[in-house]
Order: sequence, then structure tokens, then C-alpha cells
Amino acid sequence: MMHLLKIEWLKLKNYRTFWILSALYLISIFGINYIVYRIQENIYNAKQAKGMAEMVMGSRPYFFPTVWQMTSYVSSFLLFLPGLLMIISITNEYSYKTHRQNIIDGWSRKDFISVKLVLAVIVALISMLMVFITALFFGYSSGSSFDYEKIYYLGYFFIQTLSYTMVALLFSILFKRGALAIGVFFLYSLVLENLIAKPISHYFNDAGRFFPLESTDTLIPLPVFVNVQRQMSAAPNYTLFLIVAIVYLILYAILAVKKFESDDL
Amino acid sequence: MSILTVDNIHKNYGSIQALNGVSFKVPEKSVFGILGPNGSGKTTLLGIILNVLKANSGTYQLFDEAPTKKHRQQIGTLLETPNFYHYLSAVQNLRIAARIKGRDEKDIDRVLEIVDLSKRKHSKFSTYSLGMKQRLAVASCLLGDPSVLMFDEPTNGLDPVGIAETRELIKRLNKEGKTIIMASHLLDEVEKVCTHVAVLLKGTLVTHGHVNEILINEDIVELSGCNTDQLLSILQNFPGSSAVRKNEHYVEMMFPSGEATLDHINQHCFEKGIVLNHLRLRRKSLEAKFFELTKGN
Repeated sequence: MMHLLKIEWLKLKNYRTFWILSALYLISIFGINYIVYRIQENIYNAKQAKGMAEMVMGSRPYFFPTVWQMTSYVSSFLLFLPGLLMIISITNEYSYKTHRQNIIDGWSRKDFISVKLVLAVIVALISMLMVFITALFFGYSSGSSFDYEKIYYLGYFFIQTLSYTMVALLFSILFKRGALAIGVFFLYSLVLENLIAKPISHYFNDAGRFFPLESTDTLIPLPVFVNVQRQMSAAPNYTLFLIVAIVYLILYAILAVKKFESDDL
Repeated sequence: MSILTVDNIHKNYGSIQALNGVSFKVPEKSVFGILGPNGSGKTTLLGIILNVLKANSGTYQLFDEAPTKKHRQQIGTLLETPNFYHYLSAVQNLRIAARIKGRDEKDIDRVLEIVDLSKRKHSKFSTYSLGMKQRLAVASCLLGDPSVLMFDEPTNGLDPVGIAETRELIKRLNKEGKTIIMASHLLDEVEKVCTHVAVLLKGTLVTHGHVNEILINEDIVELSGCNTDQLLSILQNFPGSSAVRKNEHYVEMMFPSGEATLDHINQHCFEKGIVLNHLRLRRKSLEAKFFELTKGN
């Protein structure tokens, strides 16, 4: 696999669009958390609201240990970007027909698709690392002392990011054309799934939460207004959602591999 | 050993039958031409052999074994268009190809020299002209000096000099003992370069075998003199000739391959009182043969 990854590296190393988007994405993880952090500081430091904020919203979300959950939650709004990175790295091959050339030159079809699967994992790992650094930074900036109690939220964030990159990978393999895959991916992840999942949740006892991306979104709830949230709906069974998310991940991988191995390229 | 054995391959795209039970063998050290008009299934056939397309039924073997990626790594292939990463230079592209093929990267400079791209080797692929792209694709095929090469329309997009160079290259590679499989719709290309040929038409193999057996089986002698009708009549029963006919410019005599002797014909005409002003031996044109082969279908 190292051999395959080195070749993938040669492909990506000089692919400028990929790196510009990656850099913007990583900066944005920091940036979006900075914005929310500033809002937190404004609310909690306001003189007239002294003590009120804590009462209604709970303790500061960027304090350790909730900072792990808060940073993961806030960063998850950017997850269409790692999806986009996956899509361009795959559909590019289709538009240059290099996916054919790789096979012709002597890769097996499994080589090609498995290195892309590993790329999806790597993108998710790097995202998680960036969230880790960002959480550390704002945890300390808030003036709290280090606590790793809720650090498992980083693990949830990894699973969630992986779900997005894997759905993006699957859409790229299914649709082959960049614009089409991007369009469908954005519409599905930002609009369509919510459009379907929310009414189903409403009428069928939260069943909408089991939709592919929604199931991982559920893993990381907003850590403020916790009391209010509890009154509105029962806390989800995290173990169950983790299992559901992993089952989906396996399904994406199997579908993508089967499709790529049986298609006319 | 057969380099390639194709056995009863069928392929359809929906209701369109692209290949219909194609079978043949490519002997070692031959230049094997797959000849057919556009849309006859040549590229589909090569695509199946290279595992980028899936046959509906039928099998193929490479080097007398069930095909794997190891076999493909030993074949230098140019299929359809040159496929490279547009944002990478020639060297960077070839580095990827060399790694996939398991070839030494030191070979990159050598192959770029052969196709005359050394001066532009650090330019991005997207800045190349069509001919340069095609030459880079040929360079990629030559990486690691493979013993088998597969070319799909190798002279596509090249100027006349490039075409001549590519044909010379193919002949030279064959002289070095390499087996070459090439698909082409250009009849004279196959005639000039190939030792064996398979003729495809609408997905069906019309005929295959040695080029001399399939494409050239008649000599044609062109003659003309001042009185064409008289010339025609005195040649009617010339020994060895299978047919005599008149076209726009000349009288044409057909002979079995290699049996026409121009001096006898000349002498015969002179003795009958006709002085020739044109006498030429030509082999039956491949084009005519091709139409003849495919007419029945």
C-alpha cells in the first residue's frame, strides 16, 4: 500500500487546486471556531448578563473539556470541503482518463480504488488533527486548564468526516463527471437529506436520524443549551449511532469497490 | 508462444453489438495489425484486453497465461488518446507511469530522447501540441523497453514527418525482436508496417493471417500504347494472366502474386507491332482488397 500511496502523492503533489482548497479548509476550521469563540466571549463577558449566560446555556463551550465537543460540532459545518477535495481528486482522473491509463499501465482496478479509499481516511485524519489543534488553542485561550475527558468527540468527528469523504468518493465513482458529482454531493449533504430526514424524524420517532450523513451528525450535538435540548428530545443512543455510522462506511466502501471493479472505464 | 490469444469475445453496449465472437492469436515477434473502419470495434477489443472494458463473454490470454496486472506492466500501451495529468510535466507524468509499471525512472530521459521531447520535458502537459502529446504517449509505451507494444491509431494527430518517424520506430522496434499489436483504420499504414493482420468489420472478424496472404495476392501490370483497343485484344490470351481489362488510363493485366514478368509482356507487345509508352508492375492496392474483403458483409 505504501507503494500505491507514493504514486498517489506524485499525482497530488503538484495539483495546485487541491492544495489551495486544502489550505483554505484548514484555515477555515480555525476561522469558524474563532468566530464562534468571539461570540462566546462577548456573551459570557457582557456585564449586564453576568451569571445569566451560565444559567441558561451552561458553562462556556470553549472551556475544557466541552471544547472537544464544541470544536468538533462547529467544524462539522465545513465538512462539504473535504468531500469536495475527494471529488476533485477522483473526477479529475475521469476527465483526464488517467484512471484508464493507470489500469493500462499495470495497476489492478482494486489498486486504484483502494488508494482512493485510503486517501479518504487520510483526509479525515488530517481534519481531525486540525480540530485537535484548534480545540487545544481555544481551550487554553478561554482560560481553562487541560482536560481530556470528552476527547472521544474527536473520534466522532473523524467518523463524521470519513462519512462525508466516503459519500463524496462514492458519488464520484457513480457519476464520474466532476460538476455532476459536486452538485449532487452539495445538494444531498446540505439540503436533500435534511429535507427527507426531518419530516421522517417528525412522524416516525426520530427515524430520520438514521439517514447516512444525519446519523453521524447526531453523534456530535451542540454542547450549549443542553438542558433545553434534553427537554425537547431524548438523548440519542450514541453506541447505536456509532454502529450505524460504521455500517454505512462499510457499505460505501463495498459499493464503490464493486462499481469500479465491474464498470467499463 | 502466443503473445495474445483472443477467444470468442462478445461485447455489446446496450443493443449495439460491438464485438461478435472475435478469436485470433498474435504470434511472438510479429507486427499484428487490427484493421477496420471507424466503429468496427478495434478500440473496444484492445480495451477489453487491457482490462478497462469488460467483455460480455469470451476469454483472452496474455503470454499464454490468464491475464493479470503483471502482464499489463510488461506491455507498453497507447490506447486511443494520450492520457496524462494536464497539470504535470512530461517527466512527472512519466515518473508516475514508471512507478506503476515497476520500471526504473532512469529510463525516462532515454525515452524522451527517442521521441524528441527532451527540450520540453519540464513543460506542463497542458502546454503540449497534439503531436507532442502523442509522442509523449509513445515515450510512455517505451518505458523500461517492454517486449510487447500495443498501439491504437499510433499516427493519429501527427504531421507527415511524425507519421513517417512513428512508422520507422515501429519497424525498428520489430527488428529488435519486439511484438507489436496495432489498431488502425489506415490501410496503407497496415500494409507498410504489419506482418500479420486481422480485419474487423462491425465487430466481426472478417479474416486474419499473414499480411502477404490476406492483403496481397495479385500483381497488376499497367500498360498503355497508342492504340488501346488493339493492345487489349493482343493481350487477351497472354499466358499466365488471369484477367485483362481497361480502366480510364491504362490496360490492366492480373497475375498471381510474383508471376508477372514485364520483359516478356513488353516483348510480346513489340512482336505484335505495338510500342508501349507505359509499363508498370503494381501490387493490388490494399484499399481495393479491403473493399473486396468487406463487401460481402
